[in-house]
Order: sequence, then C-alpha cells, then structure tokens
Amino acid sequence: MLQLEGISKRFGALAALSEVHIDFAAGEVHCLLGENGAGKSTLCNIVFGVHEADSGSMTLDGAVYRPTGPAEALGAGIAMVHQHFSLLEDMSVVDNLILGQGRGVLKRQEWAEKVRALGERFSLPLEPFARVGDLSIGERQRVEIVKCLMREPRVLILDEPTAVLLPDEIAALLAVCRRVAANGCAVILVTHKLAEIKQVADRVTVLRGGVVVTQSTEPEAEIDRLVEAMIGRDLGSLSGVASGAVGAEGAVGAFEASHTPDEAGEGAEEVVQIDGLTVRDTAGAVRLDNVTITLRRGEIVGVAGVEGNGQSELGLVLAGLLPATEGKVFVGTRELTRATPAEVTAAGVGIVPEDRHRVGSIVAMSLTDNLLLNRVERFTRFGLMRRGAMRRTAEAMIGRFDVRAAGPEVPFSSLSGGNQQKAVLARELETEGLVFLVASQPTRGLDVGAIESVYRLIREACARGVAVLLVSSELDELIGVADRIVVLYRGRAVGTLPARPENRPAIGAMMAGHAQ
Amino acid sequence: MTWEMLAVFIGSSLRLATPLLLGAVGELVSERAGVLNMSIEGMMLTAALAGAVGAWATGSPEIGLLAGLLAVLPVAALQAFLTNGLRANQIVTGLGINILVLGITTLAYREIFGARSRETIPGFDKWSPPVLGDMPVFGEAVFQQVWLVYAAIGLVLLTGFVLAHTALGVAIKACGENPRAVDKSGLSVTMIRSGAVMFTGFTAALGGVFLSIGDIHTFTEGMTNGAGYIAIVAVIFGNWRMGRTVIACLLFGAATALQFQLPAMGIEIPNALLIMAPYLLAFIAVAGLVGRQNAPPALTVPYWRA
Repeated sequence: MLQLEGISKRFGALAALSEVHIDFAAGEVHCLLGENGAGKSTLCNIVFGVHEADSGSMTLDGAVYRPTGPAEALGAGIAMVHQHFSLLEDMSVVDNLILGQGRGVLKRQEWAEKVRALGERFSLPLEPFARVGDLSIGERQRVEIVKCLMREPRVLILDEPTAVLLPDEIAALLAVCRRVAANGCAVILVTHKLAEIKQVADRVTVLRGGVVVTQSTEPEAEIDRLVEAMIGRDLGSLSGVASGAVGAEGAVGAFEASHTPDEAGEGAEEVVQIDGLTVRDTAGAVRLDNVTITLRRGEIVGVAGVEGNGQSELGLVLAGLLPATEGKVFVGTRELTRATPAEVTAAGVGIVPEDRHRVGSIVAMSLTDNLLLNRVERFTRFGLMRRGAMRRTAEAMIGRFDVRAAGPEVPFSSLSGGNQQKAVLARELETEGLVFLVASQPTRGLDVGAIESVYRLIREACARGVAVLLVSSELDELIGVADRIVVLYRGRAVGTLPARPENRPAIGAMMAGHAQ
Repeated sequence: MTWEMLAVFIGSSLRLATPLLLGAVGELVSERAGVLNMSIEGMMLTAALAGAVGAWATGSPEIGLLAGLLAVLPVAALQAFLTNGLRANQIVTGLGINILVLGITTLAYREIFGARSRETIPGFDKWSPPVLGDMPVFGEAVFQQVWLVYAAIGLVLLTGFVLAHTALGVAIKACGENPRAVDKSGLSVTMIRSGAVMFTGFTAALGGVFLSIGDIHTFTEGMTNGAGYIAIVAVIFGNWRMGRTVIACLLFGAATALQFQLPAMGIEIPNALLIMAPYLLAFIAVAGLVGRQNAPPALTVPYWRA
C-alpha cells in the first residue's frame, strides 16, 4: 500500500537515513526495530510529513505521495501516534478529538457517542468528558489512538507506543494493533522490544544507523538474528543488563550469571535513611506519600513504577530541588531534609537527574565546564578560573570514564546522548566523599553500548561502597542491576522485593496498583 | 449617595470600561492562542489618532472608525509576522511597536493638527435601546451610550460563545496549551495565532476609536495612557477566562469613575490616589493576590515544528 523508495535524510553532518526501501502492506502489522538513533522516528516523521526527505520517493496506492506537513499526511489517510503525547491536558477527551476534526459549532454529545462506539469496536474504553490531565498514561495513549482511528486511516503509525505502558496495557495495545490491521489498515509499529515483535509482527524491518540491515517475514522464528542485526554484534558478547534492556531472551543465561546481588550489603552499615517522605504539590495533591527507604553501603536499590507515580518528586527532594512536606532524609549522620543542592553535594551525594538536558547539564557550555560544574570553586583563585587546571582535570576524567568527544572544550551539545550521560555520571561520581548516588532514568534514550557503560560505572561505584538509588521505568534493567526493588504507586512505596527475574510478575502487578 | 448619583456612576463606569473591554476581548483571544500581544497599547493609540483624523477630515465618525480599523491593520500584521513568522520575542516586539507608535502618532498629530489642537472632532452620537432607555432615573444615565458600548457587549458574548462552543475556539485554546498537538492534528499554528493577533488588532482598533471619537471627541498625545496595558492586566486578573476578564474591566472602569464621583459626593481624597486606583488593582492582580494563576502553558513561547 505504502512504498518507500530510496529515502535519505541528513541532519547536518549526521545521516539519519540512507537509501531506505520498505513496502508497507494493508492488513499487516509491520514492526520497525532498531536502537535509539537508528532512524526509526525519523522515518515515521517523514511518512507523517513532519520532515521532508532529502531524496527518494514515496508512493501511496500507486500514486506519488510527498507530504509537506502533517495536514497532508492526514488528508492522505496516514495517522500517527507519537512517542510523546501531544494532548491538551486541560481539556476534555472530546475536545481533544475535535481539534483538527470538528467544524463550526460543536455538538459534543454526538462526538461523545462516536468515542463510545469506537471504544467498543476496538476495545478502547474512554470516558468522553473526562479531563485528559486526570487520565492515566495508558488512558492518554488510548485518547491518541482513538484520535487517529476516528479519521479512519489507511496507514496507522505508532512510534514506541509501549515505552510508557504497564505489562497488561501493552498486551491490550498489541491486540488493538491486530484488530486495526484486520480492518485492512497498514499498521507501522516502532519498537525496540522483541517480546512485542513476537506477539504481533507480520513483518519486521531492522534499522541500524539509518540503513535497513535486514527484513523478516517470520520474525518469531528469527528473533536472535533480528537482535544481532539491531545491535550489530553477537548476542554472546552482550552483558546481562544490556540484553535485558533489549529483551533478548536468548541471552537469559548470561543475564542471570552477571546478576550477583552484593551479599556483603546485608551486614553493611546503613548510610542513607529516607524516612516518611511526603510531598504535596502547590495544588495540595499528594505526590509522595510517607516513603521510607534505607540503603546500606554498597547496595543498589531500584525504584520501579510507571512514570508519574512519584519517582520524579523523590529524585527532586533528594537533590534539594523540591522541599519535602513531611519526613526526613539522612545521609550518614547528616540530615539533608531541607538542604540546598550545594549542601547535598557537600554531604557526598551525587545526583544524576532524570532530565539530562535541562537539569543535568548546561548544553551550551563546554564539556570541561560541565564535568566540573559541581566544584568550580576549587578551580578558582582570587575569583578567577584556573582554566589550565580545569582542562587537565577534565582530560583525566574524559579518559577514565571513556567519554567520547572531539576535545575537552567542545560544546556539551555536540556529544551524543550516551556520552553526555557518561559525562554527567563522571561528574557526579567524582563528587568529593561520595557515599550516595541517586541516578534517575540514567539509561533513557541510550543505545546498548552506552547502557552497558553506565551500569558498569554504577557497579564500580557500588563496589567502592557507594549506596545507589536507581530510579528507572525499565523493569528489566532494574532486575539486572539492583539488589532490591522498591515499587512506587501513586506516590506510595507499595512493596519491596529482591531483584530477581522470578519476581518480575509480582513487581509488575505492584506497579499496576495491585498491592500485595 | 442618591439614586441619581448611583445611576451616573454606573453609566460612567460602563463608558470608561468599554475601551478596556474591547481591548481585553481581543487580548484574551490572542493570549489563549499563546501570543502575549503587548502591542495592544500601540494598536489602540494608532486607532485613536486615525479615528480622530478620519472623523475630523470628513466630518463623519463612521469614516473615522473605518480609518481607525485600517490604520491598525499594518500594526497588527507586523506583530503577527514578528511573533509567528519570525518567532521573535513577544514582549520585546510588543514594546518596540508601542514605542514606535507613540512616536509616529505624536509626530503625525503635531503635523496634522498643530495649532488647531483645541478643535473639537466630530464624534459618535449617543443612543439608548428602546425600553431600557425609558427607565426612570437609570434610563438616561446608564443606557444612553455610544453604540460602540453595545457593540463591545455583543462582541464579548460572541467571542465567549466561539471560544466555548466551536471548533475554532478549541483550536485557539489548543494553540495556547499545546501547539504541537495543533500542528499534529493538521491545523496551522501560525495561521491560528496570526489570526488571533489580527483579531486583537480589530478589537483594539474599536477600543482606540472609542477613546478619541466615542468618549471625549478629541485626540491628545499618548492618550491611551496605558489602557492597552490595563486590558492585558484585566486578562491576567481574569485568569484567562472571559467572565472574570469582563468583571475585571468593569472593576477598572468603576475605579476610574470614582475619580469623578467622589469629589462630586463631597468626599475629599487626593486626586493622585484615585488616579492610582486602577493601577493598584492591576498590581494586586499581577502579584497573584487574587487566586492561583492558570496562564496558558504555551503563552509567549514561539512554536517550532522540529
């Protein structure tokens, strides 16, 4: 139905896509598999008219298709569910659907009926007059999907739709994909998770570095080959955590072997006490509810939960960026409950914030400046910066932490995501007298190689006796790296379980609010 | 206070609130679409001068009104182009336009009127609706108004309806809340926002013309005297909701009316304090002392697709 022929796209010096040929057929679920930066999203955005291809052509039902914007794509019957929702949170579900589709004076009741009918047909139940801001992440995604289906598209693109969903919700979403395809729609599903491919894919195209490396019409039988094509190396060479990150079950053996919970942690002294932490936001809503976590020396405690269940607030409180309403935080013998970020750093706490670009770094400044941000005062004399000393220290750190950059003085924004994260981690791990590291979503958006480096560095710190609080929405990673996992649900710590693969279903249930 | 005085007070409050109301209706639409239209002050001033010149030259206030509307077109188009085409900083461009307009209108006024500055300019006649205008005491004092006052009320109702009950209203509000959602739904953020700025130009022109040939029948240099800014404050005071914005405008109008009312009632308060009243109310509003502020999240944020 939709053919891509020789599509290429460059962003500056980076070739995002080169000579991509793909056929998408009606009635099929076609998975695009690839790591971050492989070009999957760029490809979708070209099909949806957000970007224009530099060369190559597309044909839709035999006719040339060359969209200059989403409006044309929608007009041609191509709809897309984006990775990041674009919803109007302060408006009702119905109003979100009306945007771009309604005309003139609105008959909201008729729209509500359409929402209910469509919801029934595709098992996507929604309350039409609910405010989107009050819906869960899974429900918001349903709004996005219904928004697309309402246009009765011939091609439906879903860009990493499962990244934010609970296990049950993922299964439901994949079922929706099947049903939509059965109606004769071509479904394009972008993912980097193999379990999903096994469940729904009729056809798989693997992208790496902007190039189609392989295709498969029998993905279920060829999973290992597809994974190797995706990461560009043998499965055997992968560490357990990294294979957990891509969900390659072929590597489960390695996965467990590498996972050796630090038994020494059991008797070690407690260095961090988070005691009854409660946070209410300005509207008075409880964001964090009486959370108590204790960490021992050399222990990695994972914090699991669907995004928006209090993890962000927990990270902000520990970083000194958000005052706790109640409760206390102790690191060693010092109380850090209402400490400023400077006091937190001085107490030997390293913080890897979840927002690498806005909080974790200053992207317009150089790599050197970013590496030494938390201790510039040690590189000043009479108020003047000692640039030479800074550069020498930065160079040593760049070598030790394997940060790949064109030089110490390049702007931070010129580094790849993985190297940016390594630099942020390097800075925090070099915090003087480090006893406690808080790492929030440290592998978000990174490829397998960078994920491995990040976890190797965290493990090394842990071996030196640093206690680590690891917040992640990737449950497989937590199981691979942490000793224990604390589950947050609606701001409450609803349970703690040892980080073992066999506990995965129980943790998943707790994340969904089925407390034990 | 006698009934007669109350009636006069209400009537003058309504009259003084009208230019604010007209400005604020447009400003509300523009801000809901994500554009903080600072140049509304300059738009009103442009229309006030053009309206005065048009009415003076032709003897017809209707042609003055038309001249005011036409004169604002380039100002509004410039603001729309700078903020949505070039995506320049909305506050800087707005202030720049205001300073430019103040200079142009002052120069033009001196060149055109010069020594004739005392001359009266033909303005709109007053009019009252049939039944209401015949009420005892209140009839004449409250309802005997220039028709633009009633046009302002109509415009408020119409705009309120469009915002709440039409697809266009949803699209306008969406531009201020999440322009990316608008773009991805196939609508043009640039078109909607530019349209909203042009609408502000339209209502601000009505407000400006009302000042010069609806209310006092003359033009003076910088005669808007912050009316545009007060309209912006009314939107903030109104927490970006139509109903509350209208109430804010009426409140500011009443505060201004007190300047004339209190001395008439024999209450001696330094005039400077009374002149200050609307600005003080505005200050309280901006300081967030009237409840939580729910500004549109994308207000003043230019939209880039990629």
